[in-house]
Amino acid sequence: MTTPSQGPDFSRQPSEDRRSRSLLTRKWAYLLADVAVVPLQPAELDEQLGALLNTLCDSLLSEPFADRGAEQVGQRLVTVGYVTEAGLRCTLDTLGKGLLGMGYPADRVVQALSALSAGFVAASRESVFAQQEAMQVSLLKAVRDARWRIQSSENRFGEVTEALSSGIMIINMDYTVARANAAVADILGQTTGELIGAPLRDLVHPDSASELRKDLDQLRNGDIQRVQRPLRLVRQDNTVLVIALTARMLRDAENKPAEFVMVIEDSTELMLLQGELNRQALHDVLTGLPNRQFFTTQLETALRRADAKYGITVLHLDLDAFGLVSNGLGRQAGEQLLVHVSRQLSAVLSGERVMIARFEADEFGILVENSAETPEVTALIGAINRELAEPFFVDNHGVALPVSIGVVHRPARDSDANEVLRAADRSLRRAKSGRRGQWGIHHQGTDLAERENHRLAVSMAGAWEDGEITVRYRPVMTLGAEPVMAGVEAVFDWDGRTHEECVALAEDTGLMLQLGESLLRVSGGQAQWWRQRVGFTLPLFLALTHFQAVDADLVSRIIRACKHTRVAAEQLVFGFPASSLTNSDAADNLDTIADMGAHILLDDFGLGPDDLALADTLPISWVRIAHRLVDSRATFLPGLVDSLAATDARVIVDGVATEEQAEFWHKTGASFVTGSLRGPTQDPSDLVNLL
Amino acid sequence: MTLNDSWVPDDIDITVPSVARVYDYLLGGGHNFAADRKLAAQVMAMDPSFQHVARISRAALGRMVQLMAGQGIRQFLDIGSGIPTVNNVHEIAREVVPDCRVAYVDRDPVAVAHSELLLADDPRTMMLRADIRQPEHILDNPDVNRLIDFDQPVGLLFLMMLHWVPDADDPQAIVGQYRDRLVSGSYLAITHVGTDHDTMDKLPEVEDAIRRSGSREHLFKRDADQVRALFGDFDLLEPGIVGCGEWRPNSPGDISDYAAGNQIIYAGVGRKP
Repeated sequence: MTTPSQGPDFSRQPSEDRRSRSLLTRKWAYLLADVAVVPLQPAELDEQLGALLNTLCDSLLSEPFADRGAEQVGQRLVTVGYVTEAGLRCTLDTLGKGLLGMGYPADRVVQALSALSAGFVAASRESVFAQQEAMQVSLLKAVRDARWRIQSSENRFGEVTEALSSGIMIINMDYTVARANAAVADILGQTTGELIGAPLRDLVHPDSASELRKDLDQLRNGDIQRVQRPLRLVRQDNTVLVIALTARMLRDAENKPAEFVMVIEDSTELMLLQGELNRQALHDVLTGLPNRQFFTTQLETALRRADAKYGITVLHLDLDAFGLVSNGLGRQAGEQLLVHVSRQLSAVLSGERVMIARFEADEFGILVENSAETPEVTALIGAINRELAEPFFVDNHGVALPVSIGVVHRPARDSDANEVLRAADRSLRRAKSGRRGQWGIHHQGTDLAERENHRLAVSMAGAWEDGEITVRYRPVMTLGAEPVMAGVEAVFDWDGRTHEECVALAEDTGLMLQLGESLLRVSGGQAQWWRQRVGFTLPLFLALTHFQAVDADLVSRIIRACKHTRVAAEQLVFGFPASSLTNSDAADNLDTIADMGAHILLDDFGLGPDDLALADTLPISWVRIAHRLVDSRATFLPGLVDSLAATDARVIVDGVATEEQAEFWHKTGASFVTGSLRGPTQDPSDLVNLL
Repeated sequence: MTLNDSWVPDDIDITVPSVARVYDYLLGGGHNFAADRKLAAQVMAMDPSFQHVARISRAALGRMVQLMAGQGIRQFLDIGSGIPTVNNVHEIAREVVPDCRVAYVDRDPVAVAHSELLLADDPRTMMLRADIRQPEHILDNPDVNRLIDFDQPVGLLFLMMLHWVPDADDPQAIVGQYRDRLVSGSYLAITHVGTDHDTMDKLPEVEDAIRRSGSREHLFKRDADQVRALFGDFDLLEPGIVGCGEWRPNSPGDISDYAAGNQIIYAGVGRKP
């Protein structure tokens, strides 16, 4: 037995040792090949293992003992092939016995094989890591390749389908759009981006939906191979389009339904015509500007894409009293003026990212997508006003039209475009209501009657001040055989012009808000006086116009008037035109007024689709059937009145002038009338006799 | 953990074992994922000799390719090549014919990706992703035709491959289409899971384990006559259809001490007359 400090006690003949090593190598190779996968010819394996054994023996003899050589043998063993734990066991077993048999000292053999094992494990770990790494990379590549294949197949689909004039849609099994080509987008008036993911039912007209669904179910079940049918689709703008549909089912590798392919065609002249109409439908022919519809869709997009920091600004611009120019100087002059205005606006705003549209006759919409350089809103409006205040000469008449502008500045990104437009419109109306027709125009008389009307409109304020316009009263009467007065409605009178004519003029000039408040003050005072004189307690009716109904100051005006006249709110009945109540401001006003204790009349009832629903949901005490329906003998009327009765509202019919009308409405179930038959409009002094 | 999220195509789901990667693991390789190792462990627990089966069949591949190369074959078409592991066809053949050309074909996307990475710098090899059941996709593929000249003899290899093709797909007809394309002097090598051995009573359990693992592959073992029929009118070289350990062994590692390891896989090489 030797000790490490003494060094190896090893003295053999070199030739004998070589032979022993060669035998051991062959044994090692033979056994290893049986448990490991080695990509070497037997002779090559012998050669490699022989070299390893020599290295190992050299390290056994080194003084002092060096681990390094034996460790390297273990590392290189890993590279011979897939030498797993079985290969290591076989190696240790074979070499341990062999080396001891060759006379190497046991402690050195143990040391060397330990180092060999350590080197093997380290290299084996590295090898496995490297292989795993290679697999991860392969996996990622496989995924990327697969995605590339999908992409390139989509690209091919794209190239082929985009070139086609027919619309091609791929529909998922959940009936949403997977793909659509440009032709589909054109046909439906949407972008392909908007179409992808859209439910099919949103594109198909409800009348066609159930039949289409039946057809697709049959395709899915394999009952039929192909569907060919005309189909009604609904475009983005809600117009209906009839197309020819061909649909097939695509199945996957396992023959399960995968997706529907739909070809939609409209190659008829109608389709071409429709395209032209669409273009025309989006632009104003006179000024060449986009129209309101186009503006609205652009607004929708701009809201979403706007720079969050600066947002957008929407201006709703109205040429004050443009109608007067048009009527006073002729239509052609009016048109020239509109073209002029559109050019001036473009010039003023040329530095901005902006869309200018012509809405209606004399109204323009401006959409500014703000940036860091965009001036303040006030500066922008100032610039517009200055530019348009410059007189423009039409037929030698210098015309300068001031404008009213409604502004919505930086609406929330998720706002609805229509809501933004409504807000701009409301803001415009408010701006206008504060004015009295400002315009400068040089007349050279053409149509006297028209001009007379315009003259009247501007002189209304003065007429009220001068007492030319007075307040009169018309009774609200019951419809029975012995008519009884049930209330009194305050109305205007201006040299024999009816209340309706006066209101129309005042509404035109934005004067109605002030005039309406005056009407309430005068009639409220009158009612108080009657109360003291003859114990008058009947309701006092005040019909509001549209602008009054939506007026943000309506409630405060009423409170002021009540305070001033001391009339009790409970005695007042405010008539809201049914059509105004789709506006949320009007509905808010109505609720507040009802809360104050005043009663609500749903006025001008029966002309709108939602009127009955309004009567049912709002706190309404009275309903007045529109004047225009008084001669209607429509068969639905009795049912309508019945439905109203069910809401506990009392029903008035307006404008009843003959016994025949009264009889008809009495039969339908209405209880009250206003109109010349039962009670003509009267001065307060005459009416007091009836009370 | 599942990687089968929407960004991973179905056939790259590594939670499902792949035959190619299980084979690599049985050989002692690290080109595999947990699901592969789980199935391999189940199979080995039933009978440890399956590990030897993998090694013996791989060794047979080496001898078959060497034989073909020795007979002057300079181009190989390896269908179902799987994960490149130790001893790939082009490495073996090049020891004999240094400028030989090899086209590998497999349908497993990960195996294909791995092969493409390994072979990227080698213009005399290529990897094609295709299914054996569509011979025209492989035989008429432009890249394959650039590499393989079907007017010259070809070494065609279906190694550990055809037992994954169900009878319903008619493997006879499929292999026939490949044979028909080859010129006289071409070679065909097949290794295939067989039935003619009495020691392998664990095979049904293996089939069951594969089925339960969720693998898309199912084992269709065939007897010697069925495997012989796959060679059609080719002349079978000696010793005919035998266990792969018994097919011309020439070194200690070619034959296993376990009899079953030598016999369970049939091996045969035929030459087109």
